[in-house]
Amino acid sequence: MGFPRWMILLLFVICFVSQSICKEEDPEEEFSEELLLKPLPDRKVLAHFHFQSRAPPTETYGPHHRLFPKAIYQLVHKYHIREMELSFTQGRWNYDRWGGNDPISSNNAKPPGVELWAVFDVPQDQVDASWKNLTHSLSGLFCASINFLESSTTYSAPDWGFRQFAGNLRYGALPREAVCTENLTPWLKLLPCRDKAGLSVLMDRPSIYRGFFHSQRLHLTSSEFDPSGSDMGILLEQTLTVVLHPNNPGDSMYSSDSILPPSWSLSSLFGRKVIGKCVLAKSSNVYLQLEGALVSELSSRKKENERDDTDNLDFEGPWSNSGVELSVSPDRVIKEMNSIHKGGPSIMYEFLVGNYSDSKPFDLGLMWKIPVAWSCPQAPLHANRFLMGSGNERGAIALSLKPTKQSEGFQIPDINRDKCSFHVNVFQVVPWYVKVYYHTLQIFVDGKPQSVRHLVTKMRVSPSEDKVSPGVMELALKLPCSIMSAALTVDFDKGFLHIDEYPPDANQGFDIPSAVVSFPDFQASLNFLEDTSSDKSPLLAKLQERSPVLSYTEVLLVPLTTPDFSMPYNVITITCTVFALYFGSLLNVLRRRMGEEERLLKSKAAKNNEQFPLLLSKLYAKLRGRPWEAPQSSTPSSPSSSSLFSTKLLIKVVLVAGVAAGWRYYSG
Amino acid sequence: MAEIAETPSDAPDSTTNNESKSISPSSDFDPNTMRNTKPGFKRLILSLSVLFSFLLGVPFLLKSIEIYRAPLPFRDIDSLSKSIESTPLVFPCRFHAVFVGFDRGKTANEWNADKLGFSILGHVKKLTGDDQVCGSCGDNNYSVSVTVDSNTDCISSRGLGLESACLWQCGAASELKLDDDEVVDEYLESVVRGGEGCGYGGKVYTVVVVKRDEEIRAVVGKHRHAWIAGRVSEVDAVEKVVEIFVRVFVNGGKEEGAIGGEFMPVGADGKVVLSFNLLNADPDDWVYDWDFGKVDEVLLTPIIEALGPVANISVESQVLYHTPKSSFSYWDGELESYIFSTKDLPFFVNSNEWHLDTSIAADGRSKVLQVVVYIPSAKECPLLLQLPNGEISRTNSFISPMWGGVIVWNPPGCSRDSDTMHLVRNKISHQDLEKVFEVFMGQLRQLFGLKSSNLYSGASGKFVLLASESGFTEWEVDVLSRQHTCFNLLSCATTLGSLSRLVQSLPRMIIKDEIGKQVKFSLEAANLAQSNASLGIYEASAVSSRQARSLAEDAFFHPSIMSVSYYSFEHCFAVYSPFFLPVSLHVILATVREWRRFKTEQKKYLAWKTKVGSQIAI
Repeated sequence: MGFPRWMILLLFVICFVSQSICKEEDPEEEFSEELLLKPLPDRKVLAHFHFQSRAPPTETYGPHHRLFPKAIYQLVHKYHIREMELSFTQGRWNYDRWGGNDPISSNNAKPPGVELWAVFDVPQDQVDASWKNLTHSLSGLFCASINFLESSTTYSAPDWGFRQFAGNLRYGALPREAVCTENLTPWLKLLPCRDKAGLSVLMDRPSIYRGFFHSQRLHLTSSEFDPSGSDMGILLEQTLTVVLHPNNPGDSMYSSDSILPPSWSLSSLFGRKVIGKCVLAKSSNVYLQLEGALVSELSSRKKENERDDTDNLDFEGPWSNSGVELSVSPDRVIKEMNSIHKGGPSIMYEFLVGNYSDSKPFDLGLMWKIPVAWSCPQAPLHANRFLMGSGNERGAIALSLKPTKQSEGFQIPDINRDKCSFHVNVFQVVPWYVKVYYHTLQIFVDGKPQSVRHLVTKMRVSPSEDKVSPGVMELALKLPCSIMSAALTVDFDKGFLHIDEYPPDANQGFDIPSAVVSFPDFQASLNFLEDTSSDKSPLLAKLQERSPVLSYTEVLLVPLTTPDFSMPYNVITITCTVFALYFGSLLNVLRRRMGEEERLLKSKAAKNNEQFPLLLSKLYAKLRGRPWEAPQSSTPSSPSSSSLFSTKLLIKVVLVAGVAAGWRYYSG
Repeated sequence: MAEIAETPSDAPDSTTNNESKSISPSSDFDPNTMRNTKPGFKRLILSLSVLFSFLLGVPFLLKSIEIYRAPLPFRDIDSLSKSIESTPLVFPCRFHAVFVGFDRGKTANEWNADKLGFSILGHVKKLTGDDQVCGSCGDNNYSVSVTVDSNTDCISSRGLGLESACLWQCGAASELKLDDDEVVDEYLESVVRGGEGCGYGGKVYTVVVVKRDEEIRAVVGKHRHAWIAGRVSEVDAVEKVVEIFVRVFVNGGKEEGAIGGEFMPVGADGKVVLSFNLLNADPDDWVYDWDFGKVDEVLLTPIIEALGPVANISVESQVLYHTPKSSFSYWDGELESYIFSTKDLPFFVNSNEWHLDTSIAADGRSKVLQVVVYIPSAKECPLLLQLPNGEISRTNSFISPMWGGVIVWNPPGCSRDSDTMHLVRNKISHQDLEKVFEVFMGQLRQLFGLKSSNLYSGASGKFVLLASESGFTEWEVDVLSRQHTCFNLLSCATTLGSLSRLVQSLPRMIIKDEIGKQVKFSLEAANLAQSNASLGIYEASAVSSRQARSLAEDAFFHPSIMSVSYYSFEHCFAVYSPFFLPVSLHVILATVREWRRFKTEQKKYLAWKTKVGSQIAI
């Protein structure tokens, strides 16, 4: 009896092996959905959805897909896109409180509004045409005004300041684009399960848009046109990063204990629960990350509380350690290897959503048991950008870089002790109507002006051209490690726009897109102790990927002189009136009969024999420089004069009435 | 100033001449009614010249504020639309009938081929009557030739517009075996030489009548010929031949109520995108996948090639999930299935959940035809569509003209492994997929306005229509391309007509040169299409008609028309009135006053003159 069973087992193993071999030979489309949750120091919660679709290369797989969105595939093929990123963001990432040195903040904290960059695989002279067509397609696809990036005044071609190796790259940003549901729905349409099943069920629109930060991002990489023939195909990565504030009704009970961070669960954050995974997803995981600083804080608190207790401090086993309690037991605990940050390694709890179903929904909850305070890892420098100067004529843009608390004694990547220094790249695009004078660039280190040549290792400036292209500045700075503050200032003049070029509500001011400050010496990546390459969670792989630390500055609002938009009409009207007055008086002077008038005046004076007209005529004569003649008494009686007068008046009235009637007729 | 000018002109005298005082007035000289000098012209001429110079300036002003409007050939547009509306586009058709075995010994002379030809022509005229269907052959645009091929001799008709001798290899029918239709079809194709062989530009449709001692059987082949075999008399044969010519070859074997030619789903630029969508209503129950790449290669490529003369077709596909239909079906115990009745069909397509988007790859104005294969969820499986007469639809599918078609495919067994939570990916088997594509083929034929069955029953019997592997036979494509040409010209004419009406109704609309050019080229292409059609060159006329239509639409939807709609008269008035209103008031009033004054003064002078004259006379 044992023999057949053994045979079956062998068969099974053979089948399995052959299947896996087949799989390797025949690349398949893949889709995975993941969610990363992370409590933030200021009592908020970060939720980071990560969806990834992969299509094998067309050469081997053909143009028909079962999971990969058709629209994106066609987009890649029509415009020959090698890499593209589109993000819709509302709110500003708070680098101080929410961290600036982790992969999430470097990759997913995007500037407000729309940011789009794309690398094309077309000859140099066709890149602009491809970009223009791409903006139109995307604007139709995502229901946004991305088509405003079509104009050459709105996009730029950074060389090395934005990304390290950028050929045929175009970058554009719309800081004032409002982001809402109409942008999210087409984004969801690209997912095979949309928001019908899986983790995306959590995307309840009111709760998502109630958050403090909302960034929806689409990143695609393709090797379709790569001559080297890597078999990656097209990789589409869709992320949604939201920062929410948990406010459950139970909070009020513990309101007295205000130091305790609010507890939360998925249902209290989003108002929904996850009922099973999207059946098409290869993996569907939820991760809860506790930061290194938080973990060490918790463990130290635990030590204080239970000094006499000899329990070992093991985070791998208990998910309800002394500080926090999870409502669901995790399927796996992943520990970070050796953190370069202060505060020890962070911990990731992994939950497999596939184990939950309708009857047993997944509703992860986190309860705080002891009040804790910690801070997030920070970027080496905190970047701020602001405007200086007043008035509507000129001003200056200032970019201030200040070391963060953590980095005061940060590890020096450049091990040269004497001349410890690190690199900072600044990339800034300024619209043409803010005319930046790049020669006025000044750099202050610790409040003292420094020569530009000393600190700038590389610089690329393309000045703006009126109504043609924006001004682009790419700067590579080398700053000493010991700096207390650094600042860059550039002066500018405010330009004048044509009356047609003003946007509606021009008095609000004009937005200057965010500048990008990157630190190429610092890599934002997490290293996990466990070998995660075996199951290859795309989210974890993404977190492990080495990418330079990047931060965006604020959007600047520049008030420009706005004209009175009715001014042209006023000018026309007043000029015409002056001309008409001049012309009329000239005509009247030309057909004047001097002698007749004088005689008439005389006769009038004689007729009335009054003092006043006499005086008047005397004065008049004096004014005209003629000897005054006494009015002659020969006054012809004019019985018809009054009647003639009245007919003239009548004609006048009729004429005016006629003009008025004509006016009404035409305008009506 | 005006007050002074208004001073009553009955002042004693004009200022121009001081002599009035020196000349001692006669005793009855009344300065109120007469004057002794001629009134002056200076001021009158001055004001008149100002007025006239203003009037002369008006044309220059109008010219300077004129809006640029490219001259459009309104008259040509009108004449084109009139000619297309009044006389539908007709193509010349050439028919060739071959009579084999109608042998009466020595009476071949009596059996004159010409006579047969005239009889066929008469029948054709009778059958077509005066219905002027666009894209048909009109009422007297036929040319018929007849060949009588008997064992003894082979006589061809002459003088009916076609040299028929070269169209048929005499004696070829002797080798004809009428067993297998396909074989016969290919044999005839090799024997019958089309018009190309004889130096004709157009196509020649041939019917071969073979007299045999067997059941009458009429078959229409895949190419441009048909054959009738069996015991048939000459009169019957002529009737049948004529019916095949008129009803099948010219009209495409359509029945009443079929989709007309004006609803041909081809985009303005002659492009069609076939968008195939596989909809899994609920992937939690089951997920089906298809091997579309193979289908595309094997089944769709011949169709795309066959329809080449009519449309440029591209194919794309996607698989969608979580796409329930928007209306409910009910359970029928007898049929053990869920029934969806015809009256609910308008609510089958769920436009909220089925995001069958328009294609990014398709450019401009191509037509996107959606083909939806719907896989019902477990709670409505099997799903059957019910016809209005209560029967169950055999194809389980429906079409929506100009939109596309929906095919419901029930997974085999409708069984669901509810226990296994993990995803089981199924593939639609190749046989099933072929069946689905057969249905799609029928739908596509219907969308293009053709019959989907292979039997045509006319007044004189039934004809078997051989189906082509590519779905569309040559003569069907001919019919489609004729209709397409005709519809393109019609649409071009209406578009240009609307454009000309629009342009004429908005006199202050800017019209760019580009629009004028497009209109001109469109008209040229339309005329070329018409002339090609009258010569019977189907392909060239289809191409130029397509061009005409797409140019006309380009002109009509030109962005400059859409954006700068017009520069209004009110705007113009508001800008110029502050100057011209007061100035013209001055000028006109001054002229009127001067003129009146001149008249009264002239009267006074005349009065004085008469008086003086009378005094002198006295």
